[in-house]
Amino acid sequence: MGSAAAAAFTIVPRYVLGGPGNTPPSEKLNIAGIGIAGRGAGVLEGVQSQNIVALCDVDWKHAADTFNRYPAAKKYRDFRKMLEEEGKNIDAVTVATPDHVHAVASMMAIKMGKHVYCEKPLTHSVYEARKVAEAAREHKVATQMGNQGQASEETRLMCEYIWDGAIGPVREVHVWTDRPSQGLFNVYWPQGVDRPKDEPPVPETLDWDLWLGPAPYRPYHPCYLPFAWRGWWDFGTGALGDIGCHSIDPIFRALKLGHPTSVEASCTLVNKETYPVASTVHYQFPARGDMPPVKLTWYDGGLRPPRPEELEEGQEFGEGGILFVGDKGKMLGHRLIPASKMKDYGRPPQKIPRSPGHFEEWIEACKGGKPAGSNFDHAGLLAQAVLLGNVALRVELREKLTRMKLNWDGPNMKITNLPEANQLLQREYRKGWTL
Amino acid sequence: MDSNKISRRQFLGSAAVAAGFTVVPRYVLGGPRNVPPSEKLNIACIGVGGMGASDSQQVSTENIVALCDVDSKNAAETFKKFPNARKYSDFRQMLEKEKNIDAVTVSTPDNTHAVAAMMAIKMGKHVYCQKPLAHDVFEVRKLTEAAREHKVMTQMGIQLHATEALKLLVEIIKSGMIGNVQRVDIWSNKNWGGGTRPIETPLVPDWLDWDLWLGPAPQRPYHPTYQPGNWRRWWDFGTGTLGDMGCHIIDPAYWALDLSYPVSVEAHPGKFNNETYPEATIVRWEFPARGNLPPVVVTWYDGENMPPRPEELEQDRKLPDQGGLYYGEKGTILAPHMDGPRLIPESKMKGFKPPRQLFPRDVDHYQEWVRACKGGAKPLANFDYSGPLTETILLGNVAARAGEKLSWDGPNCKVTNVPEANKYLQRQYRKGWTL
Repeated sequence: MGSAAAAAFTIVPRYVLGGPGNTPPSEKLNIAGIGIAGRGAGVLEGVQSQNIVALCDVDWKHAADTFNRYPAAKKYRDFRKMLEEEGKNIDAVTVATPDHVHAVASMMAIKMGKHVYCEKPLTHSVYEARKVAEAAREHKVATQMGNQGQASEETRLMCEYIWDGAIGPVREVHVWTDRPSQGLFNVYWPQGVDRPKDEPPVPETLDWDLWLGPAPYRPYHPCYLPFAWRGWWDFGTGALGDIGCHSIDPIFRALKLGHPTSVEASCTLVNKETYPVASTVHYQFPARGDMPPVKLTWYDGGLRPPRPEELEEGQEFGEGGILFVGDKGKMLGHRLIPASKMKDYGRPPQKIPRSPGHFEEWIEACKGGKPAGSNFDHAGLLAQAVLLGNVALRVELREKLTRMKLNWDGPNMKITNLPEANQLLQREYRKGWTL
Repeated sequence: MDSNKISRRQFLGSAAVAAGFTVVPRYVLGGPRNVPPSEKLNIACIGVGGMGASDSQQVSTENIVALCDVDSKNAAETFKKFPNARKYSDFRQMLEKEKNIDAVTVSTPDNTHAVAAMMAIKMGKHVYCQKPLAHDVFEVRKLTEAAREHKVMTQMGIQLHATEALKLLVEIIKSGMIGNVQRVDIWSNKNWGGGTRPIETPLVPDWLDWDLWLGPAPQRPYHPTYQPGNWRRWWDFGTGTLGDMGCHIIDPAYWALDLSYPVSVEAHPGKFNNETYPEATIVRWEFPARGNLPPVVVTWYDGENMPPRPEELEQDRKLPDQGGLYYGEKGTILAPHMDGPRLIPESKMKGFKPPRQLFPRDVDHYQEWVRACKGGAKPLANFDYSGPLTETILLGNVAARAGEKLSWDGPNCKVTNVPEANKYLQRQYRKGWTL
């Protein structure tokens, strides 16, 4: 996608915001929460200035604290039932379920004209991300993906340094996280493991069938929830899905990226159950306006790019980070390196308005304000690129991908040189579930 | 540099110097017994199961007079093959008792290489030692120095070093066909990492002397997970994927580019623990300019992580599971592990003429050593060559443990920027063991 088109997507015209019932800024939104424990509790806290009118979770024990916090909200287990029953009373929903339920929950709300805040990654599959973004545009709802870093000063500085030419044209970017590892010796969640053989009983407080949602049926096991679902292909999106939407976001903005033209990946042994222990993913993006083509490399599980020579001895390289390599210098996160260069350079001119806050952006957008920073036109593109990396990691393609990289026709959502890979852009839903 | 330290240039610098060493003056043969080419060497083998079985077979053109193994079951086949050889379980006892030995082979787990090889060297025996030369950097340095001092003929077990494929690769690069090389990417899909110490403590089988198997390593209870065949993944016994495969696949880069000590090393490992090596690692070494040759960066990927596909590589052409990519100013070579080098794309091979031969093709890797022990030319993988190679490789493991980019003072065998990393250069031996 050219930079003109990409830029067009980040500045959404006013008219798209007409759809749902307009809540004036002086009034409060009525919000329903889907997936309300863990990160979901944090999301609700972010919007607690509004009316929290209904709450939904498949595990009422796990959700108990949040239920207690908003005693006036009605309680549900099935978001479909909640949206049907509460439809008239709610203006907006927050979605903070495991990744595999994001799309079905968001889509139902969007089609009902509800504004949507959805945790990152926007969806589980590339196809879902495309469809959800399209639907949000069509239904003119206000949207925000939960990559709160997009509202930060640091993200703005990264853009402004690069747009000011502080490191010259950028042809190479490296981005990494130690997840799923946590430092050298621990893990946030396991990857590279196999499906358990035992079948413990489902806890009474959990609706396992609803937790599975559109994913294929499998017996309950505590190894999936809470939180550890991130490592499983059927439920999560691995380290890339978890952190990629955070840390690739500022790169997308600063370099005005859209669809990549190719992706290739390699990783530790991969199985059909969980994401690999460590991986690298290489993306190529075409020239955009006056910006040259750029290679973006993702590393996880402790793998990292080489330490840049410009980084002073003793300065931390970081368990996670972003390294922009420009023709005239390097930037680590939002800091020009070495520090002396940053000191000499000073601050770049401000070109992006500062944010009132990630959640406030969305609340304002829901009330007729300008689109939030990670609205689905932006977040959809970002999530598609991130999730395309996971396609390149799939065990089904492993042998093939030793022979080629995947060439990507973004506008047509198609892998052009390996037709059978296209089926991995989308998953089959369990009976009874549709997008 | 101290005048009494041997400079890298003296030993490894230019091709001319290296070539000079392959013609060893007669006088160095004074130490060990002088064996004319018409006679046979008396060889004792330490560690004769697994790779040791093959090593003893390969030198059986000579008299195999004594065999030593701590595992009589694993050694049974070799014991049977050489009925006249006296059998031992403790190499120290064997070396003391056998008065007629000219040379020894060492094919134990990595943990015991140094103590066995050193004892033999100090007794004036020629030594063939499996790769990696030793378990720690310090041991390698000491062995290299001792072999030089005692004027014994040495060879490290990188048998590919004597093959046509490797010699051709080195000759192509030295001929200047692809111009100066400043980047080499090397990878292995093997994964000698991961795992935690077993809790159960089964009885030691009666065919195994567990205390001798442990050698200088700290005491721990016996478990069949270590022996045979799986010790490589344990910090106390092996050297991980890098130590196993690095000696083979980094060898041609070292040879072709006249490398010696790197000036820096950094490792980005996937998760690991104090018991076992990482499941995937990226290691990067910076080597300084050498004579007319520019600085070079060598990057290692293991555990199925791969370097990016070179742009020159044709679509649908597989990168091998293990190998190297040599990026020159005028061309790129793909060198699959155990196979001949190819200029890429394949169209560049049209009209390919092998460059002038720099190395003889007359004998194999084992016979190089046998011949040297009888006054012939110094073996190509002698410790003056393979010592710095092994040190470089083992530094990758040091950097993984240190978690920092390390500046390396090769001549003084010291990490200069992170003093605490120096503790990983040398381990403490169990009581009763010395180098």
